[in-house]
Amino acid sequence: MENKNPISPHIQIYNWHISSLVSISHRITGIINFFTITLIGIWIASLLLGEKNYEYTNLFLSSFFGKFFCLGIIWSFSFQMLSEIRHLFMDLGYGFEPKITKITGLVVLIGSFPLTVIIFVIGRVLI
Amino acid sequence: MVQFNLPANSKVKKGHYYKDNTGSKNIRKVNVYRWDPSKNENPRIDTYEVDMDNCSSKVLDILNKIKNEIDPSIAYRRSCAHGVCGSCAMNMNGKNGLACTKAHSELEGDIDIYPLPHLKVLKDLIGDLSTLYKQYESVEPWLKTTKKNDKENIQSKEDRAKLDGFYECIMCACCSTSCPSYWWNGEKYLGPAVLLQAYRWIIDSRDEDRKERLKKVADELKLYRCHTILNCTNACPKGLNPAKAIAEIKKMLATA
Repeated sequence: MENKNPISPHIQIYNWHISSLVSISHRITGIINFFTITLIGIWIASLLLGEKNYEYTNLFLSSFFGKFFCLGIIWSFSFQMLSEIRHLFMDLGYGFEPKITKITGLVVLIGSFPLTVIIFVIGRVLI
Repeated sequence: MVQFNLPANSKVKKGHYYKDNTGSKNIRKVNVYRWDPSKNENPRIDTYEVDMDNCSSKVLDILNKIKNEIDPSIAYRRSCAHGVCGSCAMNMNGKNGLACTKAHSELEGDIDIYPLPHLKVLKDLIGDLSTLYKQYESVEPWLKTTKKNDKENIQSKEDRAKLDGFYECIMCACCSTSCPSYWWNGEKYLGPAVLLQAYRWIIDSRDEDRKERLKKVADELKLYRCHTILNCTNACPKGLNPAKAIAEIKKMLATA
């Protein structure tokens, strides 16, 4: 017989805290990065098809929306990188004490923003 | 399968409101999840006004007060009232814990009390933990040894100390039911509580079944559904660290 009892509320009522927030953001940025890399690959491949394609890409990237898009994917990349470092330490068995997870989580969350700016500025200087 | 929304029969409705009749000036609103299996109704949230001037310090005291003085129909598990038996595990203001050790002064605003998350509800605050108990049985939580001497099976002080932080687990299920991975894959993923127990037996120096135990948990779904969300460690009312135990099992498997 099928169990007709209700399921108690879960994600609707459970409190968020820093490490669960970092964990879900890690997944989301991972998916974003997957598509971003694919997109960059397509852009590079499109250069083979002619100079015109470069112009289009350039036009898009120098527009306001293009710059916003750039910053977005750089943030997603920065976050993923920092969070991945946190994960590497966890894989070695370090940083599981609640206090430390909170601190490292905050470092990842907040640190991803300055890192975004740094990568963006370095990119500007190089180009 | 990941399902974020509650199914239609689990949607929570507004319930009754029990007004305070003691005339107390120190009133706190307590919202409690209710579901009666004998009626064909959805779960509801009943609100009780509780006189805090005549109430002891823990959340369990509030529930006892409601049951004794306001509404005797409310159902919840409790036994020792000292954080040893693990019966009164529930979700209080969005976090799992033991009602008997959680002081209501630590909770802000109105108090929301729900059963442990993502379980089949049996009645009111009582969730069905039979899946978890079956999984617990599957890790064979007992000492396995071929030694048959009449003497005591001795363990060195150092080896015994390795079990500290793991043997104290009271199987209250606060951690497992706080884990989103366990919500979505509860049938297959063992969950933090059971994996902590598995680890406790893996590292016991007297146990001779270590390799087999490791082999048994080394499974994409049973073990590696842990994504270090760390809700478990944050929820544990005994201050243990299931996430660390799981990480240690993963490390053992990677370095074995």
